[in-house]
Amino acid sequence: MDSNEKIYWRSPEHKDGLTKIDKSDLPHHDPSDIDNRWSRRHFLGIMGASVALATTAGCRRPVEKIVPYVTQPEEVVPGVPMHYATSMPFGAANYGLIVECHEGRPTKIEANYNHPSTPGGTDALTQAALLNLYDPDRSKTVRYKGNPSRYDDFIAFYREQFDKLKQGRGEGLAVLSEPLASPTLKRLKNKFDREFPKALWAAYEPVNDENIITAIQNITGQTLRPIYHYDRADVILSLDADFLHTESEHIKAAFDFAQIRDIEKTGTMNRLYVVESTYSVTGAAADHRYRLASSHIGAFLVELVAELKSHGLALPDMTVKHNVILDKEWIIAVARDLVNSPARTLVVAGRRQPVWVHELVTLVNRALGAIDSTVSYYKMNELSLAKTSHLKTLVESAQAGNIKTLIIFGGNPVYDAPHDMALASLFDKLETIIHFGEYYDETGRHATWHIPRSHFLESWGDGEAFDGTTGMIQPMIAPFYDTRSDCEFLSLLATGQDNRGYDIVRETWQSILSTGSFEKDWNRILHDGYFTGTSTGPERFKILDKALSVPGEIESYGRLEIGFYPSSQLHDGRLANNGWMQELPDPISKLTWDNPAWISPTTAKESGLTNGDVVEVTSSGAALQIPVWIVPGMCDNYLALFLGYGRDNIGRVADGVGFNTYILRTSDNMHYTNRGSFNKTGYKYDLANTQDHGTMAGRPIVREASLEEYNNNPNFANEMVEHPPLKSIYPEYDYSKGYQWGMVIDLNRCIGCNACTVACQSENNIPVVGKDQVGKGREMHWIRLDRYFTGDAHDPQIVHMPMACQHCENAPCESVCPVAATTHDKEGLNTMTYNRCIGTRYCSNNCPYKVRRFNFFNYTRELPETVKMAQNPDVTVRFRGVMEKCTFCIQRINRNKQRAKKEERALRDSEFMTACQQACPTRAIEFGNINDSDSKVMELKNKPRSYALLGEYNTKPRNTYLAKIRNPNPALVKKGNESAQDG
Amino acid sequence: MSTTEYIIGSGEPPLVTGNHTFASVTEHICGIPEGKQPTWWYLAFGGALSLLMVLAGSIGYLIWEGTGIWGLNNPVGWGWAIINFVWWVGIGHAGTLISAILFLLRQRWRTSINRFAEAMTLFAVMCALIFPAIHVGRIWVVYWMFPLPNQMSMWPNFRSPLLWDVFAVSTYFTASLLFWFTGLIPDLATFRDRARTKIKRLIFGFLALGWRGGNRQWRHYELAYLLLAGISTPLVLSVHSVVSTDFAISIIPGWHTTIFPPYFVAGAIFSGFAMVVTLSIIARKLYHLEDFITLNHLEKMNKIMLLTGMMVGYAYSMEFFIAWYSGNIYEQFAFINRATGPYAWAYWIMISCNVLVPQLFWFKNLRRSIPVMFIASILINVGMWFERFVIVVSSLANDFLPSSWDYYSPTIWDILTFIGSFGLFFTLFLLFIRFLPIIAMAEVKGVMPQAKVEHTEVAHE
Repeated sequence: MDSNEKIYWRSPEHKDGLTKIDKSDLPHHDPSDIDNRWSRRHFLGIMGASVALATTAGCRRPVEKIVPYVTQPEEVVPGVPMHYATSMPFGAANYGLIVECHEGRPTKIEANYNHPSTPGGTDALTQAALLNLYDPDRSKTVRYKGNPSRYDDFIAFYREQFDKLKQGRGEGLAVLSEPLASPTLKRLKNKFDREFPKALWAAYEPVNDENIITAIQNITGQTLRPIYHYDRADVILSLDADFLHTESEHIKAAFDFAQIRDIEKTGTMNRLYVVESTYSVTGAAADHRYRLASSHIGAFLVELVAELKSHGLALPDMTVKHNVILDKEWIIAVARDLVNSPARTLVVAGRRQPVWVHELVTLVNRALGAIDSTVSYYKMNELSLAKTSHLKTLVESAQAGNIKTLIIFGGNPVYDAPHDMALASLFDKLETIIHFGEYYDETGRHATWHIPRSHFLESWGDGEAFDGTTGMIQPMIAPFYDTRSDCEFLSLLATGQDNRGYDIVRETWQSILSTGSFEKDWNRILHDGYFTGTSTGPERFKILDKALSVPGEIESYGRLEIGFYPSSQLHDGRLANNGWMQELPDPISKLTWDNPAWISPTTAKESGLTNGDVVEVTSSGAALQIPVWIVPGMCDNYLALFLGYGRDNIGRVADGVGFNTYILRTSDNMHYTNRGSFNKTGYKYDLANTQDHGTMAGRPIVREASLEEYNNNPNFANEMVEHPPLKSIYPEYDYSKGYQWGMVIDLNRCIGCNACTVACQSENNIPVVGKDQVGKGREMHWIRLDRYFTGDAHDPQIVHMPMACQHCENAPCESVCPVAATTHDKEGLNTMTYNRCIGTRYCSNNCPYKVRRFNFFNYTRELPETVKMAQNPDVTVRFRGVMEKCTFCIQRINRNKQRAKKEERALRDSEFMTACQQACPTRAIEFGNINDSDSKVMELKNKPRSYALLGEYNTKPRNTYLAKIRNPNPALVKKGNESAQDG
Repeated sequence: MSTTEYIIGSGEPPLVTGNHTFASVTEHICGIPEGKQPTWWYLAFGGALSLLMVLAGSIGYLIWEGTGIWGLNNPVGWGWAIINFVWWVGIGHAGTLISAILFLLRQRWRTSINRFAEAMTLFAVMCALIFPAIHVGRIWVVYWMFPLPNQMSMWPNFRSPLLWDVFAVSTYFTASLLFWFTGLIPDLATFRDRARTKIKRLIFGFLALGWRGGNRQWRHYELAYLLLAGISTPLVLSVHSVVSTDFAISIIPGWHTTIFPPYFVAGAIFSGFAMVVTLSIIARKLYHLEDFITLNHLEKMNKIMLLTGMMVGYAYSMEFFIAWYSGNIYEQFAFINRATGPYAWAYWIMISCNVLVPQLFWFKNLRRSIPVMFIASILINVGMWFERFVIVVSSLANDFLPSSWDYYSPTIWDILTFIGSFGLFFTLFLLFIRFLPIIAMAEVKGVMPQAKVEHTEVAHE
């Protein structure tokens, strides 16, 4: 094996032949790739470089002074991780993070709980962003017309352009950017505008909130974004809004939502109604869910408004014709529920809904008294806003020949812009295109200049949260390659100078922190990672007396509606080369490594389709062959397509995975279209899912009750199983001394978002095994999200159950291991001794929860060198033939125990968290010492909802669950499982 | 063969037909290894060696690449390897049963078949032993299963049934080997005496341990043989009981069953006899041993198969009854799922082969029909393989939490390893035919009419 050419692989075929990329076949040779010939000259060169490197060890850390978060060892102590606060820009959002660094390598991302956007934890995407830093396929070099070049050459070129453009005041110059939600970027943008007042600036993202913001602009005249306070809402109606998972500010939403569902604390529960076309994470959390095509949701809202008016709410009169058949009873029940809790209700519509729906929703919220109670509106800078219409203006201008130089500041429009804009061919007509991006991607290939972009973990910068709080971006490591950060590049564009990011950001902050001692304040905000001084309260606004853009008629679709959704794993495609995300099972379909079209069981039956059948979808003049996957609870005659897949020449992970659904998306139908059809092709396509069976087979696994049942019998979960007295034939060990670790997972809080799974993968060096291995049932995740459908086969409810090692006191795995490789420690942990394991797999067979994972191959053998740097040095990398499983993050337990011991004290409750617990945005996971009766974990374990899964087998699991409670509307309960589906 | 001769006064059909004298028995049996091997032997040996190479190749690739080359997945951690192990161990039951238990029960008809049944046992156990050794993830440390003293005082886990397996199967192998070798001694001495070359004389002389056939030697020998039979008898019952605890001790529905030890032993005897019948039909035909392995012998074995077949049938139905009677939903599902679930095809192959096919042997003409019993014996071993498949795979594939259920299918490497194990078995068996007496001459002579005539009282059978 050629040791310098590490490759990722997805399947043996892939591994054996396809992706062992012969560099000579590629159009452009990358100079940074190490040549593999071991000539004398080469050897001496390497040796010289090694000596040079050895003497400058430590240079990977940035020279600029950044400030560690909590603890400051005198110097870096090998083996002792440092934590720094930073933040991650994500579209118009900014997530506050704490990053764990080992000897200068960032290895784990955690949430900064003090940041307004990440109050509870992170999401899976944020966790996985770490791996992108180490992606060996990131763009490493400047390219001119596709050939490797140097940054200095680009600067020389740009200075020349700069002077020329400046003379024309920016005539013929256009910038297509990502949203600039950052004080520094905005400052630089202003500078840019001063230099080039005539330049065209457009911000675009394929998944954006344009409809929401435009609607509010229309009716208030202000640019505002709604921020929902789910923790204050007793009744929530979601219209096509997956607010817990894919909408903006979903991490905060998930946290708030979980707060009010804490039944013991609040005494009661909120009620969530979801009207949606495709099964979403939010739909799974709903108490009532109504399947309705996206285009029909407007009709639902119109009917609801009429119903609300009958309750005396001040809402405008409308006459909207439609022939959508709706469940009247449902609407009556929802309307009554909404008006019954004044000011404690909330209607939220998703970004996929048209402008008029959002206008109407704003008015409904006002009429319900929700504004400033359950929803606030925050000022939004136009620059933070990505709009498809911006892109449209730019394209029109380019077509008219008004653009000569186009600068693409982040993003990948050739891949993800609406298909009808035909950007690729348009770009080829322009004189100069400068592309700034993390990957040499579809857009990069069409650019004259491609400039590699730094990852946020190696950049200086800042970002704005929704309320104006600034999150600081500090580099955790010096850039790996010759890349520039956003600030550095925009500064170059605006000034023609190649300034250092640190200086640029400091300059911004010198004006913000104009009072007091700058150095002190600067150090403080770097330490904290955020600055609240820039935050503003919610805006007050008036509703303009203006006609709504409500259409006169809502068109009913006939045979098929096609909907476009951001992928739960790759979002819009930006995480396509991220193995953790590619292998992450979708929360609903449990599929990995692919994005098949989802259809309902009825549609599948009518079209004669089964899972994996390839259909040809035609819409807007384009055709796409894509397999289908049947998802119960999908709207009938509906095809859900997910964005971000089907890439070529991006990287070893992304290439050839899934199908590019962007080719069906047009600027008029960004979210759904009814002008489409599909035909069965007769081909089959293999899809790799991690869960074949969606039913609980009548077993008491996820124990669930309605609020009413719970109030009548809080102990219902334990009473679901009857068993004889539990006795062991072995003498029981005395666990009453010392720390005894235990975990509780609250199924009422868990939304199934997968954050825990990726956090665990990152913390515990869990390998990515590829589609082929997942297809064989060999995925390695230590914590998985079991998803079960309950109720009606066509319109089921979904429950999620995080499943990791239960750390049974009477562990069935332990007694069967012939070599005693898995044993119990005196703190109640079921431990694995990798060194001792010979791999009989008997433990896994005998595990009733099937949480053990076996290394069937040497999955880490071909880990790229850079990815090795992402590994947590506190956790052993497992070899082939060894069993592994959740350890309750024993490395964290021991690190904190050692610290406490040194400080001669006992560990405090909640002094540290497991990785899954720390990442969970809803705080559904609690971990601690069960010998401490005052600990949080014991408080939860003592709740009547607490139950041990398969406890009747006397396994005595240390991990227990809190049963799920739903709060159905009694008026709708008797309808039972009848399908609520329009005709 | 149809002529049935009776020993005057005994009423028992003779165990050796064809009017053989002691000399002709020796001549006939010794003639097989001493003479030139027929062409088919070379063809068969070539085939067996090729299969052995397949086994070696499959194991080599397994060690090189990892357990992942097999079709195992997360719920199904054991697949063909363990099925093959249990199956081969099961087959290895007949030999020692025939030599030990039937010896103690004074079943004199065993003498014609015990030698190669014992050989078959040894070879089957050797095939079986391969699988637990290679199925582990890290083959290079498989010796940690043995209680080897080491500086870390790290002992194996004596609570693990896999460890009990190590002891049970190796003890069984050792005892069977000794028993077989002890039985061979007088015949080896005959070979030594008839040897024409010096090398042969030296080898057989060494192996015959100085056997002269004197009265004292016979007395000691027969006592030793009796003792070994006594030692082996419990082993026949224990080895498969212990193997069954691999499953019975576990918590998995479909495995966690107290009926397993007797049920496994019955199944093992069942499959062992089926294999003996298959092999003896071939051997008696090819080496003209019809006089020694008579239809009466075969019929007796068929009767045992009928009996043990009904025992396993009883066990199958008992499992269902207990699952229902227990009121345990997981247990109930496991069994309903076996008969109706994704592996129902395997379950019904098992029922057809193991329960229905032996019912043919109620009929005397079928019981004595060579083609019928040949096909039936093969089908029974197919059925017994599927029994282990059903137990191992269907229980693991669908256990407690439906979220982890998955379907198991073997890969080409699972199949090649299994086929390859036949290569080992037949290579050893053909070498055995080629070099050693396949029928225990000394013992057969003891049950011939001449032996009766010369003694008023039968000394020791």
